[in-house]
Formats: sequence, C-alpha cells, structure tokens
Amino acid sequence: MTEQLRRSLDAYRENTQCTASPEFASETLDRLGLADRYTTLESTIGPVYVAWNPRGVSAVRQADDAEDFERWFRKRFARRALPATSTPQIVDDVRRALAGEDVQLSIDLRDCTPFEAAVLRKAQEIPSGHARPYAWVARELNNPRAVRAVGNALANNPVPLLIPCHRVVRSDYTSGEYVFGPAAKDALLEHEGLHMHEIEALAKRGVRYIGLPDDNCFCLPSCGGDLIERLDAHEKHVELHSVDEALAMGLEPCATCRPIAA
Amino acid sequence: MTAALPAFEPTTSVDEVGELLAHALADDVDLAFEQVVRTYQDRIVSVAARSLGDRQRAEEVAQDVFVRAYRALVTYDRPRIRKLRLRSWLYAITLNLIRNAVRGKRLRTVGLERDDGSPRPIADPKPTPEAQAEARVEWQLVGGAIAKLSPKLRDAFVLRYVEELSYDEIADALSQPVGTVKANAHRGLMNVRAFLEEQS
Repeated sequence: MTEQLRRSLDAYRENTQCTASPEFASETLDRLGLADRYTTLESTIGPVYVAWNPRGVSAVRQADDAEDFERWFRKRFARRALPATSTPQIVDDVRRALAGEDVQLSIDLRDCTPFEAAVLRKAQEIPSGHARPYAWVARELNNPRAVRAVGNALANNPVPLLIPCHRVVRSDYTSGEYVFGPAAKDALLEHEGLHMHEIEALAKRGVRYIGLPDDNCFCLPSCGGDLIERLDAHEKHVELHSVDEALAMGLEPCATCRPIAA
Repeated sequence: MTAALPAFEPTTSVDEVGELLAHALADDVDLAFEQVVRTYQDRIVSVAARSLGDRQRAEEVAQDVFVRAYRALVTYDRPRIRKLRLRSWLYAITLNLIRNAVRGKRLRTVGLERDDGSPRPIADPKPTPEAQAEARVEWQLVGGAIAKLSPKLRDAFVLRYVEELSYDEIADALSQPVGTVKANAHRGLMNVRAFLEEQS
C-alpha cells in the first residue's frame, strides 16, 4: 500500500501540475507597475519606439505602428510591452541621450549572453564622432578571432542609438550591417561629424593609420571627425600602411583609438 | 512523535533559489521581483488550482498572491527581506488567499471532476506513460481524499506530500511548531490512505 500510495500521490501531483499562462508574469508585473512600458521619441533617424522597465531601457526600435512594435517586442523578449501611461525620469533621460547629450542610462541587457553584453559595453566606450572596426572590438575583448561574433552581438543590440553599435564599422570603413539600414548608419556617423567617404577613400588606397609626428603618435583614420579635418587643413601627417611603418618612425599608438593591442 | 512515519518520505528540495532571490530583493525589490514571479508562478498557480479546481480562478488568486507579496516587501527593511524564506512565505500568503477564495463555498478539490464525472483538465495535457495507467484512477481519488481532510490536517498534508516542502518550511508557512506540523501531516497521510483503501 505504501508504494501504491506514493504512486497515487505522484500521479496526483503530476496530473494537477499547472504552468502559468504566458501572460501571467506580464499581467502581474503590470498590476504592480513593473512591466515594460513604451513610448515614441524623436531621434536623428526619425521617431523610434523606446521601451523600459525597472532594470532600465529594454528596447529601441523603428516600427510601423504601436501594434507592429508590440508584436516585435513580444517575439524578441517573450514578454509584453504596454503603452506608457506616465512619463518617468528615464524617458526624459532617453530623450536627452537621443539628442546627443551625455547621459548615464541604465540598460536592461538581461537577454544578452555575457559575450554579447561585453561587446555592447565596448561599443558604448566609443565616443561620438568616432568609429572602430569590428576587428578592433574583437581585439579589445582579447578575442581577436571573434570578429563575426562581434558583428552578431552588435546586430542583436536591443537598444541601438543608445548603445552606439553604428560606430562599429568594417575594416575597409564601409559601414556594414545596421538594424536601421546601412544608409542610416552612414547618416548617423556623418551627423556625429565623421567623414566616412574620405576615410573609406583612404582605406581604399591602403592607408590603415595616420601618423601625426607633431603629436608623436599614430591613429586609426576614424579617430574622431576632426582628424580628417586636420589633414584637410594640411597639418603635418604621414599616411601609414602598417603598424611596423608607424613603429619604425618612433610613433606611439594613440591612447584614444588604441590602434594596436596594448 | 510516537506514531510511526510511513515508509516513504518525499524528496524535499531546498529552496536555494529563494535564498538568492531574497538577497536580490533586499538590494532592490523592483529589480528582482520579476524573477520571483517567474520562479514561483507555476507552483503557486498549481497549488491554487488543486484547491479551487478552476484554472482561471487559480491564476487570479496567484496574481493576488504576488501583488500582496510585493506590497509587503516594499514595506520591509533590508535585513528582514534578506532573512525571508521566500518559498514558505509565498505559500503562507497563497494558503490565506485560497482560504478567502473558498470561504462560504464548498471546497472544490473534490470538483476535479466536471458535472458529467470526467476529470476536470486543470493541468496541462501531457502524455501519460503506460506505467502510470494504474495510478491514474487513484490520483483522481486523492483529490477527493484531500478535500475530506480537516483544514488543519489538509494544509500540513498538502505542503508535505503534494508540494514537498521540508517540515521546517511548513512550520514557517503555517506559523506552527515543527512537531505539530509533522503530526498533522502524518495524520493527514493516514486519513488519505484510509480513504483510498475504503474506495478500492
């Protein structure tokens, strides 16, 4: 009997086991004001949908309409986002960040793998007006072979614009993939003051680095928009094709764009 | 306790996740609460569904459980949250709310059957291996046996033999001494066994 009782209890437990409905957590959190909420905000590339929750900003996305955004959000994060009914501080922070202000934002990266999160944090270090190759990010993360994985991680950036994945470009300085399209990526970089066409032209001629003898350093050509402007103003500079060339001239790697591994 | 315990004891899992979550809650309730919901939602919905015999109402009660829990947590100071035994605390709230939900009504555990006598599908459909076929008739009787227990025995029995909590946790959830909880769970088990024997 004891064995049979155990089996009966096990069967009872198993047959009456429920799984909460897919909406359960979202609805519960919503009742507590903890669910993801969203609104639309202006950005350089036009209006974008922005979602947030107590962890921080969870999504930035262009969408045809609210329904389109909600559908995408649910598919991407397996939970629901609801239209905002109030304007918390974080919305104002995002608005200012989208306008180019330097704002400290909490970002919800819980769905990212540790590697993806590391890539995104690295992209966050790239200042406005600068760009870095995918391979540079891989190298900075001590994983120089992971160039493709870096590309995938950036393509999965849940909060483009706020984490500036658009500042990571191909090694030939063509802009490469972007969630809002390559044209938007070029436009954003131009808007931030980077002269992508001139940098791309340099790369085409095999120029990998720019030496600045007066500063005793060498840079990536994408080290800030003003670098190209300084060249245009005929500041003394050397076009370099390799690191060896730079080192042979006794130039130090730039501390900002870190053209070679530390 | 002089009464001999039955030959089997359920395997009791320690609520390690609950400890981690309690620490996370102590740091930031708003940040950690979603994980609390996602960790315990299936358990809470299940325990409510078993008592209420109604999936929809079970979800409503379970939602109320988490809302109550959250509203309490935001009033607690950090040391109190950190010491919280999350799982038994949530069960305590759940049992209270189930009690409120059934107050004045016949307990529906019996009602794991529809009016036509077929089993009420509160659980998610899953394939039943042939080995369990024999037990299948009996599991429906278990629900009836549990409903016949007095509330005192039922809570202790359910938490021990259905929910598989440790006696420590049950004592916590029911605010009773461990000895009382052990005795009640055991008496509940004996009664359920007697009921099932009667039926067969």
